[in-house]
Amino acid sequence: MPRISPHATVAETAVLAGDVRVGPFCHIGPEVELGPGCEIGSNVTLVGRTTLGARTQVYPMAVIGEAPPGAAGAGECVLGEANAIREHVTIFAGTDAPTRIGNHNLIMIASQVGAGAALGDHGIFDNCSRIGTGAVVEDYVRMSGFASVADGVRVGAYSFVAGYARVQRDAPPYAMLQGSPVRVRGINTRNLKACGFDEKDIRELKGAFRELFNGRDGKVNRKALRKLEAAGKRNPHVRRLLAAADAVAGDADG
Amino acid sequence: MADVSVVREIDAAARIAPDAVVGPYCVVGPNVTIGPGSVLERRVVILGQTRIGSGNFFAEGCVLGADPQDLKYRGGRTLLIIGHNNRFGREVTAHIGTEPGGYLTRIGSDNTLSKGAHVAHDCYVDDGVSLGENVLLAGHIHVQTGAVIEDLCGVHHFVTVGRYARVGTRTPVRRDVPPFTDFRSDSRDGPCPPAVAGIHDAGLRNAGLKRDEEKELRFALRELFDDESTLQTKIEQLVNMGVEGEAARLCEFCNRSLQGVYGRSRERFRGKVPPEARKYLPRDTGIDLRRPLA
Repeated sequence: MPRISPHATVAETAVLAGDVRVGPFCHIGPEVELGPGCEIGSNVTLVGRTTLGARTQVYPMAVIGEAPPGAAGAGECVLGEANAIREHVTIFAGTDAPTRIGNHNLIMIASQVGAGAALGDHGIFDNCSRIGTGAVVEDYVRMSGFASVADGVRVGAYSFVAGYARVQRDAPPYAMLQGSPVRVRGINTRNLKACGFDEKDIRELKGAFRELFNGRDGKVNRKALRKLEAAGKRNPHVRRLLAAADAVAGDADG
Repeated sequence: MADVSVVREIDAAARIAPDAVVGPYCVVGPNVTIGPGSVLERRVVILGQTRIGSGNFFAEGCVLGADPQDLKYRGGRTLLIIGHNNRFGREVTAHIGTEPGGYLTRIGSDNTLSKGAHVAHDCYVDDGVSLGENVLLAGHIHVQTGAVIEDLCGVHHFVTVGRYARVGTRTPVRRDVPPFTDFRSDSRDGPCPPAVAGIHDAGLRNAGLKRDEEKELRFALRELFDDESTLQTKIEQLVNMGVEGEAARLCEFCNRSLQGVYGRSRERFRGKVPPEARKYLPRDTGIDLRRPLA
């Protein structure tokens, strides 16, 4: 039997796995589904068509699954396994496409995830970070305090977004992103080492970064990109970087 | 405690002073102590091993004593200690410490924490400190007495904010802020890298220094921060001149920051128990800080 505080309001049609814990003063709506081992703290609101995977921890005052202001009808929110959603976090439900969050993410205090956004796995989102509506954040991204990703923008895997940075157009993977508007400041060596990349991968990525982002404006150097593409690099990470850089460079705003 | 009609969930093991007020929809965990005259307004959640002194006020939506947002925390009997007569604005959050960081997060007395301020694991906030809206203190920070941190500032791990210093609105603080200085990231010409921009006059007034001491301190501050690139030489000059009291302490503070990593003297406590933990950790917890850390 789930352990539900007598002071929580749980809709009859909500689906709760056997060992779910729900704290006092929570509100759980009729179309919510909670996987095994979920721990819902006190004063949490889960509404809309919201699914939380196994071992998700939701801390007090978080709100998940509310449709954004002005949206018609309820939205959908799908969270994977073992995410930690900290105090005062808001995750809006997508009404056109569901808001999707992968596994093992840590979303820290007072952060906000917009409707229809898609987060990958193993991300760390520091306090007050903001993911815009329909934005895409790939795996192993780390965002610092007050950082934001604009609506519909994509941030590549393993990138680091520095504090207060505003990502307003698509950003490549493996990058250190800093400033407002954001600039590529180099390669996120520390994160790559922590994620088990070997010296050779890092060296090759560093070389490609140096050529691709050598301008003061932080934009992709198209000439260097074409040269690197022609060189036929075999390293899968470099190829991934080049593909992402190609998409970024092809963008209307550069 | 008088109004029994209020809906709230207080663990039977919590120790709450008879005249403390716990408002509606509050949640108080089993290992919590709340001192006399403290008020939990509405929807205040107090978890973990949290000890709260007397005369504190917690506005709606505060969450105190939750787990640290740090991957090195793997559970453990760590604490959050709050002194007396503090005012916590809406949705303020503070976390318990981590074992490797010294088991303790401490907020002293007479502090004001505005809406959304966050005090992370292993921070030490001394007395009479003012934190503006949404100020983020990352882990292991020491905010010394009388410091003012204005709205939307983010403070990096292991930073020390000196006594009676001021940090201007929306400043990213990545290194130590020397005492009695005005530290900011904007100038008349627009945004600039965060740096000491002058003397925090109100701080000097609040510190209640003797006239001679204040004069000497002002002289030292002007000498040191006129041109920060020559800080090391200036410190030596002032020390050789034989400055005393606050001015000498200022020199010592700056020296330590210079010796630290990226201008952060507390980096030397990375993975170690800081002296504040030895000073403030209550004896009755039975925690032995001499034991090698996990």
